[in-house]
Amino acid sequence: MGKYVLKRIGLAFVTAFIILSLTFILIKLLPFQRPIGGDAQQIAYFDKQYSLGYVYRFEKEMTQYGELLYKSPSDHGRAYYYYQVPVLEQYGNWLKNIVTRWDWGYSKTYQPNVAASVIIMSRIGYSIRLNIISVIFSVPIGILLGIWAALKKNTLTDHTISTLVMVFISIPSFVLISFVLRIFCYSLDWLPSTWPPDTAPLGARIKGYIIPVFCLSFGSICGYCRFTRAELCEVMESDYLLLARTKGLTRRQAIVRHALKNAMVPIFPSILAEFIGILGGSMILESLYGIPGIGKLFVLSLNYKDYDILFVDMAIFTTISLLAGVVLDLSYGFIDPRIRMGAKK
Amino acid sequence: MAEQNRQFQSDDFVLVQQNKRITDKKLDSKPTTFFKDAFRRFCKNKSSVVGAIILSILILLAIFVPLLSSSNITNVRTSEKFLAPKLFAAGTGFWDGTRKKEHVVYDAVNGVPALSDKYSVEAIKKSLVSLKVEPEVSYIDAASQYGTGGQIVVATDAAVADKDVYMSSKPISFTNKGGYTLDIQFGQEEDVNASKLGEYSVYLKSGDRPQDRLVIRDFSRDYSPISVNISDLMKDAGLSSMTAQVVFEVRSTPDALRYILIDSVKLSGGARAKNLDVLEEVSFDNATVMINNSDTGSMAYWACSGRKGIHNSELYYCDYVIDTYMLVYGDADLVTYSATEFNAWVDQGLCSYDYKVGPESFVRLSDDCPIDSVESQTVLTVTKKLSSVTARGYNYRKMGYDKMPSFILGTDASGFDLFKRAFAGLRTSLILGVCTAAFCFVFGLIWGSISGYFGGNVDLFMERFCEILSGVPWIVIMTLCILHLGNNFITFFLALCMTGWMGTAARTRTQFYRFKGREYVLASRTLGSSDIRLIFKHILPNSMGTIITSSVLMIPSVIFSEATLAYLNLGLQGQQSFGVMMSTNQQYLSISPNLVIFPAVIIALMMISFNLFGNGLRDAFNPSLKGSD
Repeated sequence: MGKYVLKRIGLAFVTAFIILSLTFILIKLLPFQRPIGGDAQQIAYFDKQYSLGYVYRFEKEMTQYGELLYKSPSDHGRAYYYYQVPVLEQYGNWLKNIVTRWDWGYSKTYQPNVAASVIIMSRIGYSIRLNIISVIFSVPIGILLGIWAALKKNTLTDHTISTLVMVFISIPSFVLISFVLRIFCYSLDWLPSTWPPDTAPLGARIKGYIIPVFCLSFGSICGYCRFTRAELCEVMESDYLLLARTKGLTRRQAIVRHALKNAMVPIFPSILAEFIGILGGSMILESLYGIPGIGKLFVLSLNYKDYDILFVDMAIFTTISLLAGVVLDLSYGFIDPRIRMGAKK
Repeated sequence: MAEQNRQFQSDDFVLVQQNKRITDKKLDSKPTTFFKDAFRRFCKNKSSVVGAIILSILILLAIFVPLLSSSNITNVRTSEKFLAPKLFAAGTGFWDGTRKKEHVVYDAVNGVPALSDKYSVEAIKKSLVSLKVEPEVSYIDAASQYGTGGQIVVATDAAVADKDVYMSSKPISFTNKGGYTLDIQFGQEEDVNASKLGEYSVYLKSGDRPQDRLVIRDFSRDYSPISVNISDLMKDAGLSSMTAQVVFEVRSTPDALRYILIDSVKLSGGARAKNLDVLEEVSFDNATVMINNSDTGSMAYWACSGRKGIHNSELYYCDYVIDTYMLVYGDADLVTYSATEFNAWVDQGLCSYDYKVGPESFVRLSDDCPIDSVESQTVLTVTKKLSSVTARGYNYRKMGYDKMPSFILGTDASGFDLFKRAFAGLRTSLILGVCTAAFCFVFGLIWGSISGYFGGNVDLFMERFCEILSGVPWIVIMTLCILHLGNNFITFFLALCMTGWMGTAARTRTQFYRFKGREYVLASRTLGSSDIRLIFKHILPNSMGTIITSSVLMIPSVIFSEATLAYLNLGLQGQQSFGVMMSTNQQYLSISPNLVIFPAVIIALMMISFNLFGNGLRDAFNPSLKGSD
């Protein structure tokens, strides 16, 4: 078991390394974007890049290094010329910088000369907070609805719940957000139509959470409901539940002690994975509602063509999704004793 | 219990096949294939059939609407923007091209709601279906041309200047005998404690030197009315005549923005005053009117060095229903046509007219006639012949329509027909979805077959490759592709294929692992079948059902991905795109909600019916459910 866990984690690391390397190279192959700002900021940026090994600096014009990125204004008759380092060499320096200094690059246009890790850290809190709240809401509601539908299988209640779940799971999130904004913000004017700033009073900030949490948890409520119903229905028809009833347990006892426990086996890992997977947040929700999380950062850095920030944001999404996959796989083994992870056939 | 007591005799039983030859019999039931059986079971599932029907209607609409509709979706026509959805004739009250608006500023002078100035008052009046002016009166702080009364705000901001002046820019000649009086009323704030009213002084300024000022009220926070006789003041100061301006000076305090409210200024002269008209122009008692009539009225005579605005202007609000089509395509303004142009229509038999009788003799004979009525005519005095007519017609004829247009779903901000645009976008999305699903189906099938059939190291290598590729979130792959290759159709296709085929491949691989050890495969192999034959003839048909289902369900996910990217500003360019349309219309949610709601309903309907259809397909293809119904 321990060996399998290590192997699984190691594999995830290798995968992450390969993906991030490819992403880095692809991002660096894009046309170079000049940072914004005056000469002072430009020089600061390029000197930083020079010290990190991403650009060359010369005191005279060179021809063999391709396009001139920037020429600093001559100061006491001395001007610097900056050229781009070949991409693979940049890749090597990038690895070195990450390993030795945990340096993920600097913003060019969005917040010039601010470290990418600083920008990410200032924003990731919003995404995490929002998503944890929405998981807290969606998991119990979804599972309870699913149990209710499964226990009343093939009755009006079940049909209503199943139909509603099917309808709502089909509605894309951006459509849902549009409708919610239209009804609760514009028509009824109950809730703020954008994310309130941090300086807003506590009441307004709590109100600002309602719409994003609702929109985020809506899809997962439907997902959990459907999943739970399917699992529980399957368990309810199994032979051991029949045995439980025949040995004299009441329906309630049989369901609580046997059916629910077994139905939870595949559901629980997916909750764990969701906890991690949802950290990435919803880009659409964040950009439509103006939430300053990392999903919005993705859109912003694309608009600003700030590719270093974009890369770090992508790296986070990739890592989160890989991590969620590992946790999902491993938790199956921990929860369900019948599954022997990595066992030989 | 009767059965238990029944006695059975031996002749109750007959041997069925006694003295008969037992031979193989032809089956009475009709032979069926896997797909036929799946289709039969699919048809039993009511909700899936409904889903399939809705889906096919949407697909047919997506194919034929862009082909058959002649509406404009390429040339931007802002005059036709935001038309309401119209399916029934105007006046039916439902889906009739009217739009209801509540709480809109009311233009009391013209008696119409204050719409954007693009439309003439005449046009608005003719398009109004109903109008209700609210009896209550509101107050606003911003200047509005539809308000009345209120006070002028003269504000000074400590961050910009330490003082600001509001002065009559036209110099006025005063004499000490004219009996000139100056009356000023100030506004007060209701909540005096929270007041930001500042210190001010009022004086007459005849020059730049300090001694050129004739102070009327020195710096104070006294907002009581002022009424002074300027001539008396001049006598006290020993002046016989002067040319001066009225000045309000507001002093800022370092901590806050300060302002004063000026209700009215009245400069008047006695019997011997010479310049009454100038005095009138500098005076005002209706601040809103004064501040808005900047080019013709008194505003030209007041200048402000700081910020000025209107406080407590009275506004009326109204609710109204307006026929948006009449507003745009309805009665045009009067147009003058020359006699030759007009006579040509008469000659063509479009209308009849006798200029000797006059405008009332106009009769419209054909629908092609561009005018509806003649308002006036001019006749040459010498020859007594018609020179020109001034006539009224419908705007849509000028805009190139044969009849009053009507758009089922209304128009968007560019004046495009939403109905055609939505389905043209849907067509692009469907083509993208079908192409992607087809490619992924073929590629995934081949990849999965090879990986599953051969197993071993080949499988291991191919699996690791898939694992890495599927580890990248699809949004990252899409973004990188779009950044490198631009956001055109081919890029979208490539990027979606790159992320899409792994699902099919994984499913195919699993199916191969399930079936490749079966006896019939071994039997075929013993008979000398090649690998290709085993894969495509024996194993693949068994796993076809699930793979087809997953490929069909890929189409809605492609549509969804395309729309998602559009919301992230990475939308498909150069083609009609459903996602781009939805994300652009998002910003008009409060102006024209139908622009968001109709596409949302279409895409939701599409997704729901795809899911229903897919569920039915999955059940129909599931061999373990065979015969269970």
